[in-house]
Amino acid sequence: MIPLMRPALADAEGPYVTRLRTSRIGTASDDAILIEGADDGSVFSGRLGLVVIDGVRAEDLDGDIVLVDPRRGRVERLLRVGSTTNTLLVTERCDQLCVMCSQPPKKTHVDRFDLLEEACRLAPDGMLIGISGGEPTLYKERLLTLIERTLAARPDLGFHVLTNAQHFEASDVARLGRSAYRRVSWGIPLYASEAALHDNIVGKEGAFAKLEEGLAHLAMAGARVELRTVVLSDNIDAFPALAGYVAARLRFVEAWSIMQLEHIGFARNRWEQLFFDHVQRFGPIAEALNRALLHGVRAQLFNFPRCTVPAAYRRLAIASISDWKRKFAPACLRCGERSACSGFFEWHPDEQAALAVQPL
Amino acid sequence: MTFTPLRLRAIGGESEKALFVNDAGRFFLGSSAFLDRMDLEQLSAGDLAFLRAGGHVVERGDALGAAAHARGVADRIARAGPLDYLILVPTLRCNLSCSYCQVSRVNENQGGHDWSDDTLHAVLALLDRLDAAHVKIEFQGGEPTLRPDLIRAVIDRCGRFERAEFVICTNLQRVDDEILALFDRPDVFVSTSLDGDLSTHTRNRTGTAEATSAFLGNLRMLAERHGPTKVSALPTIDPNNPPDIDALLDAYVDLGIDSVFLRPINYQGFARKRHAASREQGDGWRGYYESFVRRIIERNWADRGRVLEETYLSIALRRIFQPGSERHVDLRNPNPMGIDYVVIDHDGAVYPTDEARMLARSGVVDLSIGNVAEGWGGPTFDLLNANSTNQFDPDCKRCAYQPFCGRDLVDDLARYGRIDIQRRETAFCRRHLHLFDLAFRLVYSDDDAIRYSLARWLRLPGEPAAFGQRLA
Ligand code: SF4
Ligand code: SF4
Repeated sequence: MIPLMRPALADAEGPYVTRLRTSRIGTASDDAILIEGADDGSVFSGRLGLVVIDGVRAEDLDGDIVLVDPRRGRVERLLRVGSTTNTLLVTERCDQLCVMCSQPPKKTHVDRFDLLEEACRLAPDGMLIGISGGEPTLYKERLLTLIERTLAARPDLGFHVLTNAQHFEASDVARLGRSAYRRVSWGIPLYASEAALHDNIVGKEGAFAKLEEGLAHLAMAGARVELRTVVLSDNIDAFPALAGYVAARLRFVEAWSIMQLEHIGFARNRWEQLFFDHVQRFGPIAEALNRALLHGVRAQLFNFPRCTVPAAYRRLAIASISDWKRKFAPACLRCGERSACSGFFEWHPDEQAALAVQPL
Repeated sequence: MTFTPLRLRAIGGESEKALFVNDAGRFFLGSSAFLDRMDLEQLSAGDLAFLRAGGHVVERGDALGAAAHARGVADRIARAGPLDYLILVPTLRCNLSCSYCQVSRVNENQGGHDWSDDTLHAVLALLDRLDAAHVKIEFQGGEPTLRPDLIRAVIDRCGRFERAEFVICTNLQRVDDEILALFDRPDVFVSTSLDGDLSTHTRNRTGTAEATSAFLGNLRMLAERHGPTKVSALPTIDPNNPPDIDALLDAYVDLGIDSVFLRPINYQGFARKRHAASREQGDGWRGYYESFVRRIIERNWADRGRVLEETYLSIALRRIFQPGSERHVDLRNPNPMGIDYVVIDHDGAVYPTDEARMLARSGVVDLSIGNVAEGWGGPTFDLLNANSTNQFDPDCKRCAYQPFCGRDLVDDLARYGRIDIQRRETAFCRRHLHLFDLAFRLVYSDDDAIRYSLARWLRLPGEPAAFGQRLA
């Protein structure tokens, strides 16, 4: 696991964003440059003084865009150069309470939009930046402003925003249809085509109806949507019907990601009750994939280790887990498909992972 | 409650039932009982739920249903992007004289039928002006390999594109080191004609057994040297004298080629004179086509290790289920002319399609829209584009297959000399009615062998429970 949060000491009064560099070559005014490095920590010097970061080797930090928070004594590695998945958390508040939430929401909100916007401006060329929460569109105006201002200054960047899509209005359609939004995709969870079941899973009555409205606005705006469905014991048998629904009403989506459950957050304590083992019965997922693909919906499997998926469907199981939270079982070492495999979440129980794998 | 406009077609075999298709191409098979209920306006709650779920009915207040329908209709409308596909004819000369040559070729040693220096420079200048990041360039003839220098000049000029793909359409009669060096490039693909077994191919094309074996030797050499994806081959079928289906398939399978694009002789070029019967594609052709499809279904079922397909049927199936997934410029709607692809002839004249070039050569009608040095546009261009859609045609408007079908103005002009002939009376329409009838009979078949092939042709990992829905 790659640590994203490190203890740190800094000169400055308040939080700020900077890019860490180990050499002076090609640096800019926002950069903090290494002046002393050891295996267990490094000292960088920038416009706002010194920052001392613990426990990471300086060369692993080179190019990282970090948020230095002197009062809490830490730095947060917001955007890492080598990583394909960088996600900015814009709020921890949420208006749903999903049974399997991996990042249970908090009541309070700390507004960091300005700092995050600065980080985006410093992002490496062409980076795709993830935005998640909580529910980012609870602060829709702040969010859209951040996206628009960033893309105006940095048209090479892209955004992928995880949202429940319930806060888009008809009045947003023209805005979301602007050309800058071709560089933005929206990752939207949908758990069933039956309203009651979906509402039950997300813990909010009326959520499905609001979601359909939001999706209609996004469809009319020509927005890029990635649909996401987590596999649960509760909705597994609803998958074929959901695929029919997606093919009939949501064919415009760019992709439909069917995701296996993460052993974290609420799901950790409810594992027995929520987890559906697709190895035992792949049928409903196979039928959903075939139905969706038949109608040209690009369906894919997230968090499905490749050896747990029948051979014909394996090409749909992609390496979906970000580097910093991915691990493999010991037996995976001799597997030929490792580079294409999702592996397991860092927090997946080791015994379960070891039992599941069948090196290919 | 609003019905999305539905069009019906009785599909053979289950004559009591009708296929219902809406403007977005969504469809179901309704029973005669359902037809009666619809007729009497006595739809059940179950009917309504079914129609709503399938997008055939959009209720007031259902914003997503309305949006899905709008997007679905839009998906059926082909959009032509910037010019990124060029068909180039560097020479009209050829070293063969096939019985149905479509291009009115000239003899190998005849002068004045190659690109001039000026034409070459204009082509290169055109390449420099292209806006697209990816380009596809096809060399046609005549026999383009008679001028490897011109092919090379074009390829060399394409270095600036993110991706450039070249297809050399050749008779593979002569492959010397210079030509082989071109074929060896990973971005070059070879397209050729293979009419079936040795005797058919000799009769139609080469004239002598030696010439046929030289061709087959070269074809085999290329397939072995670079694998089957390097070469694509098309058979041209004489419906009055079609080859044995298994012999034809074996000739392809033997070379590792699994996709066969079955084409009847085209009523153009010299074929007009020698094969007068090819003006209409009759029942003979359609029967042969269908037997061919049935046979590959059987063969696929018997040998699961190899998936054979008829290319055009696969394209039709993808147009039914997966609009936007393929870009076949011969079957799309509207079918804009001279926008995203053009043909540049040996004399620099620009045509909207290769068939249009042949029409001009055979003196039927001159459909050139300009020339490569000065550009193209003008009245012919505008007239063609104004008529390039099937959407408002009185026959197509009522046809269940309109969302999947296309428009081929040049084919109409070639056969009838006009484009305003009643659509149902055209060979294009008959061919496509038959094609889509066949496709939907397969879609609604419960036969495991058919379902297996359908799934493979549609590139699915497994077979869905049903390819199409039914309403009892
Ligand atoms: S053995 Fe490991 S690396 Fe290989 S497919 Fe299974 S989980 Fe993935
Ligand atoms: S051409 Fe014929 S088959 Fe095609 S849409 Fe028109 S009427 Fe239907």
